[in-house]
Amino acid sequence: MILAQNLCFRTIPTTCITVKHQKEPHQVNPVTQTKTKFCECFDLHKELIPYGKAWSWQKQIVKEKKSLVQRNEDCPDTLIVLQHDPVYTMGTGSSEKYLNFDIKKAPFDVYRTERGGEVTYHGPGQLVMYPIINLRNHKMDLHWYLRALEEVVIRVLSSTFSIKASRIEGFTGVWVGNQKLAAIGVRVSKWITYHGIALNVNTDLTPFSWIVPCGLRDRQVGSIKGLLQESQLSTRCGEADTSNSDDCELIDISYRSLIKEFSEVFQLEICQKAIPMSELLTENN
Amino acid sequence: MASRMLWASRAASHLRISVFHRGFSTVLKDLHYAESHEWVKVDGKSATVGITDHAQDHLGDVVYVELPDVGAEVKQGEGFGAVESVKASSEVYSPVSGKVVEVNEELKESPALVNSHPFESGWFIKVEMNDAGELKNLLKPEEYSKLCDEENSSH
Repeated sequence: MILAQNLCFRTIPTTCITVKHQKEPHQVNPVTQTKTKFCECFDLHKELIPYGKAWSWQKQIVKEKKSLVQRNEDCPDTLIVLQHDPVYTMGTGSSEKYLNFDIKKAPFDVYRTERGGEVTYHGPGQLVMYPIINLRNHKMDLHWYLRALEEVVIRVLSSTFSIKASRIEGFTGVWVGNQKLAAIGVRVSKWITYHGIALNVNTDLTPFSWIVPCGLRDRQVGSIKGLLQESQLSTRCGEADTSNSDDCELIDISYRSLIKEFSEVFQLEICQKAIPMSELLTENN
Repeated sequence: MASRMLWASRAASHLRISVFHRGFSTVLKDLHYAESHEWVKVDGKSATVGITDHAQDHLGDVVYVELPDVGAEVKQGEGFGAVESVKASSEVYSPVSGKVVEVNEELKESPALVNSHPFESGWFIKVEMNDAGELKNLLKPEEYSKLCDEENSSH
């Protein structure tokens, strides 16, 4: 749940993006008597952020959190939600054999990152969620963390779209039948997580056909919009509406649902923070 | 035994019940241990480094190991590489400082050696130590066993 709309336009130095750590007041829940844990959320869900910028930003936040932990200070969690310009990303052990093109003549930029997992595509219409959380605040257990991320998406699909999604044992991600709707790949450094989830809302799925997504040859990629259209056609509700305003609405609805379910699964109070677009797009690093 | 535990782990995950870990982990004597679950075997100035049985048990199937280049400098407590399983890549930390003189090339083709033989053929790097005094910062086998017991009981 969203605590407060805190639109604070901080002055951020143009040499690097820094996030000022603000100590939140402790809030005791009178019913459960537990200390409320806070998570700052950077809502860029309507923006197309270049992958390189977002990656640098994440690493900066991870560095700051590590030094908080080292100084034994409170280390609250952070969540970034955004969309990316078209890009392919590969994990640490990714193989180029899963690219159906010569990497030197790639249709989009290709980034080799430190997350787990094979190659995937990010682009407009796909909501990307980067939880940069301190697993010491939760459970120091990677399996639990990945299952929890899957749970967030499964609940979004069920509660908001009545789509029954599931896990497939051995294949991290969220599936509807043979279609993967959300890809997950993370990195953990001293129990601070980064990278995260990519959920196809109304993504153009064509660029997925130019790779073997996540290295899985006999599986497909799907989107929320695609499934809703299939369902509409099969119940003979007429032509599926594909107007632009509906696309924006779908992204907004998906975003709000992701935040709500993330908050519930991870038991965090979400505190919205805003970063002025001009700062994020300034040349840095 | 290891493969049965891996099967049990996967089956439990499928059924969405808590994965129980073995009530014990193999802890070898004559090794030094880091709290971050790496082990080091010292032979003069040479140190062989890997991750422990407890660590590999908790990671599950290792699918990729990221190793430094020969010649790289490592420092005690700092990351030198990573281990990937279940689409999560996590850093491994060097228990000693020095220069990397050899890396385990076998792990490129067979990362599962980390699961099956964490203390033997699943080693990660060999380091020429520049400060053997740092070993006193590490845990003895019985201290490390105690840490594992505490971690296992807190799950």
